[in-house]
Amino acid sequence: MLDIAFAKPALPKAGGLVLLLAEEAAPTGLAAQLDAAMEGGLVRALEAAGFKGRKGQSATLWAPAPGIGKLLVLGMGKEGGAAAAEKLGGSAAAAMAGEVTAMIAADGLPAAEAASVAMGAALRHYRFDRYRTTEKAEDKPKLSKLTVATGEGTAAKAAWAPMKAVVEGVFLARDLVSEPPNVLNPVEFAKRCEALSSLGLEVDVLGVKEMRKLGMGALLGVAQGSINEPRLVVMRWNGASKGKKASNPVCFIGKGVTFDTGGISIKPAGGMEDMKWDMAGAGTVAGLMAALAGRKAKVDAVGLLGLVENMPGHNAQRPGDVVTSASGQTIEVINTDAEGRLVLADVIHYAIEKYDPKFMVDLATLTGAIIVALGHEHAGLFANDDELAARIVAAGQATGEACWRMPLGDAYDKQIKSDIADMKNVGGGRAGGSITAAQFIQRFVQKKPWAHLDIAGTAWSSKDAPTTPKGATAFGVRLLDRMVAEHYEG
Amino acid sequence: MLRLRAEAPPGALVLRPVLEGGEAHPSGFEGRPGQVLDLHPRLRWVGADGASNAPQWEAVGAACIRAAGEATRVAIDARGLPDAVAVALGAGAVLRAWRFEALKSRRTPGPRRLSLLVDDPDRAAPHWARAKAGVEGALLARELVAEPANRLHPREFARRLKALESEGLEVEVLKPAQLRKLGAGGLLAVGQGAAEGPRMVILRWKGRFAAPPVAFVGKGICFDTGGISIKPAAGMEKMRGDMAGAAACAGAMLALARRNSPCPAVAVLALAENATSGHAYRPGDVLTMLSGRSVEIIDTDAEGRLVLADALHYAATRYKPQAILDLATLTGSVVTALGHHRAGLYGNEAALGAAVAAAGEAVGERLWPLPIGQAHRRDLDSPIADLRQCAPAGPMLPDACHAAAFLREFVGLLPWAHLDIAGVSEEAGAEGLAPRHAPTGFGARLLDALVERHFEDPHRV
Repeated sequence: MLDIAFAKPALPKAGGLVLLLAEEAAPTGLAAQLDAAMEGGLVRALEAAGFKGRKGQSATLWAPAPGIGKLLVLGMGKEGGAAAAEKLGGSAAAAMAGEVTAMIAADGLPAAEAASVAMGAALRHYRFDRYRTTEKAEDKPKLSKLTVATGEGTAAKAAWAPMKAVVEGVFLARDLVSEPPNVLNPVEFAKRCEALSSLGLEVDVLGVKEMRKLGMGALLGVAQGSINEPRLVVMRWNGASKGKKASNPVCFIGKGVTFDTGGISIKPAGGMEDMKWDMAGAGTVAGLMAALAGRKAKVDAVGLLGLVENMPGHNAQRPGDVVTSASGQTIEVINTDAEGRLVLADVIHYAIEKYDPKFMVDLATLTGAIIVALGHEHAGLFANDDELAARIVAAGQATGEACWRMPLGDAYDKQIKSDIADMKNVGGGRAGGSITAAQFIQRFVQKKPWAHLDIAGTAWSSKDAPTTPKGATAFGVRLLDRMVAEHYEG
Repeated sequence: MLRLRAEAPPGALVLRPVLEGGEAHPSGFEGRPGQVLDLHPRLRWVGADGASNAPQWEAVGAACIRAAGEATRVAIDARGLPDAVAVALGAGAVLRAWRFEALKSRRTPGPRRLSLLVDDPDRAAPHWARAKAGVEGALLARELVAEPANRLHPREFARRLKALESEGLEVEVLKPAQLRKLGAGGLLAVGQGAAEGPRMVILRWKGRFAAPPVAFVGKGICFDTGGISIKPAAGMEKMRGDMAGAAACAGAMLALARRNSPCPAVAVLALAENATSGHAYRPGDVLTMLSGRSVEIIDTDAEGRLVLADALHYAATRYKPQAILDLATLTGSVVTALGHHRAGLYGNEAALGAAVAAAGEAVGERLWPLPIGQAHRRDLDSPIADLRQCAPAGPMLPDACHAAAFLREFVGLLPWAHLDIAGVSEEAGAEGLAPRHAPTGFGARLLDALVERHFEDPHRV
């Protein structure tokens, strides 16, 4: 992660500098100091550039004063707030990638927003380049240290500490999602989760034998076509109960299909490489648990990850197979590519039986239909509990991880009636495909408060956003961390 | 259609809705929905347990018709039930008993002469008259949707709408020459490949108070081949129903007229056939729309939004309505999103959206709101024109959102709602208010209910 420090406002002796200017406002603080050092040159340059401080406006000057290499001036517009500050930080970090050190002058902002600037910068500075072995040094980003100049350093630092833990959780999730599927199979995924015990998480890993004992026929059916064995990872954070017995934890459940060929109902070749991120739900839950532990959240939380690889091996399950889930309900497998819901069914049942959760949220790159329905700006939100749904929507708005509520209902549930088993794993062609998937999952939640986030359209981004470079987004880590912080701590 | 009576007419099969806690029966009949008990040749019980609102009672009324089998004369026994319930039973029965038989040389057996048995026919009559208007609107819409495209082309559609003048509606038909004069480039381009040219039909209901009207805009593609971007052959026959939006708007106008609504309303219907020919418009063409905006064509099968754009602009600028609603069988994408149990609802004003959704719940024509995001509009940026009509082909496109983002560009600042009814214009299941695979008339009753609930107080506007 980017090395971030907070310092008293003083013009840097070297590196890059980013100034944040409000709309139609004269420079103050560090900006005024620089303008003085440039003998009014800054104001003149901005005027010549037509820079008015509007949101989205920017101006770049090279070597404006001795020592300073690149100067970036960003318009703040008229609105403040954490989200806007994050975006400014993100844009600043992207523009300063070529400088070794840089300073962002946040001296005009309150301490909390100065910390948000740091968070945005850190989030944007992420890069997954583990497998680039021949990249030339000049093509790599150089930025390694970012100083946020603020008069309220102590307060900003205090605000930054929990944010930093969340950023680390986001990075963990992005790393997991970015890893290629030959590296990150279920066993390796579980190993990386076990390493998180250093944060104070209790991590248990269930293998095939244990899952067989628990009767997890749905999950095991998906896994049986691969030589890579499945794992069920359980991560517990007892931040509220501490040593005492944890009760009614909040539960987060992730779909972790480390690669999804579709199985016997094999997918078309075009774009199949994207299916390495069919474990983004599980990656997000791992990142979320790391964030909660990293910032010592006062909550009892359990993260459960159903990790499998969906391959068309000689032992693979077939369309027409009937599997018995851990709940005892039987499922006719119509399409082996509708495997995520099979995995979730058994993991959700386990979560209920073992932990009696206060509520459950599952995350899954579950359906293409949700992309057809909503595109890439919103995740699909399904819930049987309006309060939980409203909290998720609000936290999503606050963190820029937007969710859109989608319907459930008996009419949709009827579409997954099977002639031979209790249900089938797809219903009625493509019509309402995300809804019937959610109905399937709902059959396993035993009326517990539950929400399901279909993140197929939001887990991966094809272009850069201010705080998210293209690639794995870790959608959900910040949203759920925020929801826990606002409603379920203390 | 349906007669209110106190006693069953001789020879009629009586169908009695029975709730739980009613008459227990040794046969195991418990009054569950779907249960039917054949008591004797002239009496059947029909399960009605749990019915507690109008749409549920309408479903029971439809179940009565299903339970009647091939009996011609049927009487639904609503005696002892409140008038509102009786009326809902009657509406459900009439809607379910409807069949499109104009083109059959022999009629299929089944209920034709319907009676509704009530305690006091005179007391129930005004309630039924109100419900009947909405039902008649829906049935008009169904008749139009069911008609095959060789019979109901734009000229014939316009002729049938012209006949609504006898109902007290003002009807104006704009032909291709007038459309050219106006500059309705979207509607003209879509219609230019067909032997029968496009029409824009305007239906007006004056109402009884002076206020800007409520405007309905309907997509009326009498047949949609897809044009040069031609559709696959399988299932193409269903495209005769691609004018269900326009039909629903016409049905709603009929309902307003029949019940003499005080609210002024106008419907602008864009009628065209999207055909393939040497004259057809092409992908890559740039059209100048009625609003003056230029639009790049990507896919000639995304034609509905083009005709709607011109109709929306026309309605918005000529009538300055207090609200504007469009209905269209617009995208396959909305079917993937919501299936066949809800239509997609888009808009630019939360209050109108809530009112529309509530009206839908009241009549059992259910909607679900879907978003128009910034990216959806950005995806329509064109390198050559003001905007393009849809995003270039790719996997998993949110085309319904794109279409809504496109339409929004043509309504200005008016409160607007867009109903994508592609998934609900035809009955998907066996237990609906229409026979399976028949047109539903979705939207006609919804718009009628919306006007009644939301727009009939002259002091509100």
